[in-house]
Amino acid sequence: MTMQRRMSELAIGAIPILLLLGLWYYLAAFKIAPPTLLPAPGLVFTRFVQLLGDPTFMSHVAITLYRLFCGFGLAVIVGVALGIAGAGSPVVGSLLRPVIRVLAPVPKIALYPAFILTLGFDHSSKIALVFADAVFPILLATYQGALSVEPKLVWSARAMGVSRRKALFTVVLTAALPSILTGCRIGLVISCIVVFLSEMISSTDGLGQLLVRAARNFQTVDMFVPIIAISTLGLLLNFGFNMLRARLLVGFPEEN
Amino acid sequence: MKALTSIPGVPPLIACFALLVAWEGLARLVGLESLPTAWESLQELPAILRDPRSLYDILSSVRRMVTGFALAAAFAIPVGLMMGRSRKVAAFFNPLFMMIYPVPKAALMPIIMLWLGIGDASKTLVIFLGVSLPLIYHTYQGSKAVGEKLLWSGAAMGMSKREQLLRIVLPAAMPEIMVGCRTGLVLALITMVTSEMIVRQAGIGNLLFNSLDLAQYSATYATIVIVGVLGFVLDLLFEKARGIIVGWADPVHQIAVGSA
Repeated sequence: MTMQRRMSELAIGAIPILLLLGLWYYLAAFKIAPPTLLPAPGLVFTRFVQLLGDPTFMSHVAITLYRLFCGFGLAVIVGVALGIAGAGSPVVGSLLRPVIRVLAPVPKIALYPAFILTLGFDHSSKIALVFADAVFPILLATYQGALSVEPKLVWSARAMGVSRRKALFTVVLTAALPSILTGCRIGLVISCIVVFLSEMISSTDGLGQLLVRAARNFQTVDMFVPIIAISTLGLLLNFGFNMLRARLLVGFPEEN
Repeated sequence: MKALTSIPGVPPLIACFALLVAWEGLARLVGLESLPTAWESLQELPAILRDPRSLYDILSSVRRMVTGFALAAAFAIPVGLMMGRSRKVAAFFNPLFMMIYPVPKAALMPIIMLWLGIGDASKTLVIFLGVSLPLIYHTYQGSKAVGEKLLWSGAAMGMSKREQLLRIVLPAAMPEIMVGCRTGLVLALITMVTSEMIVRQAGIGNLLFNSLDLAQYSATYATIVIVGVLGFVLDLLFEKARGIIVGWADPVHQIAVGSA
C-alpha cells in the first residue's frame, strides 16, 4: 500500500517536470520561439553531454569546484567553531548575537567589490565571498543546535568528571550534529550558487564565466549548458551530503 | 551597563560601531589604497544620496524589489497553502521545486533578458523567481502543521473547504508564513543586487561597479554600506511588522539567510 502510494506520488511529481520539458520542446520544435532565443532541449542536452567529455570544459568545472570547496571548508571550520564557542560561553554568545543580527541580513554579494579591491581578481576574492555567504547558515545552525542540547547530557558528563571544555567537544558538539549538518547542507548549496555568480560578475575562468562568454557571443545553447551544469552540481552535492548525513547520524533519533 | 544592553536595538548598534572600528583599524593597519578607512568612505555617503542619478538608481531598484516580492507573495502563499492541505498537490509540486532549488536564479538574467528585453520586466521576474521558493516552502510547512482538530471543528460548524482554508489554515500558518516572508525579503534584496551586478545596466548593483571602474574606491565602499544598511533596515522593519500582524504567536528568532 505505502509502496503503491509512493509510486503514484512519484508519478504525480513527474507531471509538471514533463509538462515543462514538453512545452519547451513544443515551443522550439514548432518554431514558435525563434531558435536563437530558445534552442531545442535535445540540442542543449547533447551539447551538455558532449561538453562533459571536453577537457577544457572540465577544467572550468574543476576551477569552480576548487573555489567552492575552499570557501565552504573555511565556512564549516569557522562557523562550527564560533557556534560552539558561543553556546559554551555566555560572554562569546552575547558578543556573537548582535554581530550576527547585523551581518546576516546584509547581502554578502555587495561585499564582492570590496573583496576584489583587497584580494584581487583571482581565486581568493571568490573564496572569500563563498565563505561570507556560507558561514552564516552554518554558524546559526551550530549555535542554535548547541543551545538546545539537553543540559542533562552535559551534567551527566560533568558528574563523571569530564572537564567543561572537554564536555563541549565530546557532548555538545556530538549532540548538536544533526543541526550542524543541516546548516552545512544549506551552506553547501548556497556556496554552489554564489561561486557561480561571482564567476559571472568578474572572472576569466570557471562555469559562471562560460555563461557570460556565451551570452556575449549570443550562443544560446552554450548559455543553457553552464546553468544546467551548476544546477546538476548543486543537486548532486545536496544528494551526496544527505547520504553522508544519514551515515554520520546512524543511531540518532529520527528528525522530523 | 546591563540596563543599557537590555534595551532592544542597542546591542546591534554597538555591534555596528564595533564593526566600523574594526574596519577603520584594519584599513589603517594595511594602508592599501584600495581599502579606504571607514571614515573616508562614510564621508562619501551624503554625496551619493544627494546625487539625483544615483538616488534614482537606488529608488528604482527598491521599487523593482518591492514589486517582485509582492508578486511572489501573491503567487507563493496560495500555492504553499494548497500544498500543505493536499498530499496530491504537494506530490505534484515537490519534485519540481526540488529541482529548481539549486538553480542560481540571478544567473538566469542574461537568458531572461534575451526574452523580455532589458526593461523592468526581466529584472522583476528574476526577483520573483528568487523569492518564490522559500516563501512556498515556509507556507507549505506552516499549513501542513495546522491541527486537524481545528479543521474538524470548522467543518462541524458548517464551514466549506474554501472558508476553512481562508479562516483557519491561513491564520494558523501565518507565523511560519511570516518567517518565509522575512527570508524572502532578504532574498529579494540579494537577487536584485546580484542581477544588477551581472548585467550592469542600472540600479544599485551597477552603482557599485561604476565607482569601482572609476577608481573611486571610497564611493564603492559607501555604496556597500548603503546596501548593507538597506538589508538590515528591511529586516528590522519586517520584524516590527511581524510583531504587529502575528504578535500572538511565539516570536521566532530565526535570522534570514539565503542566496540568489
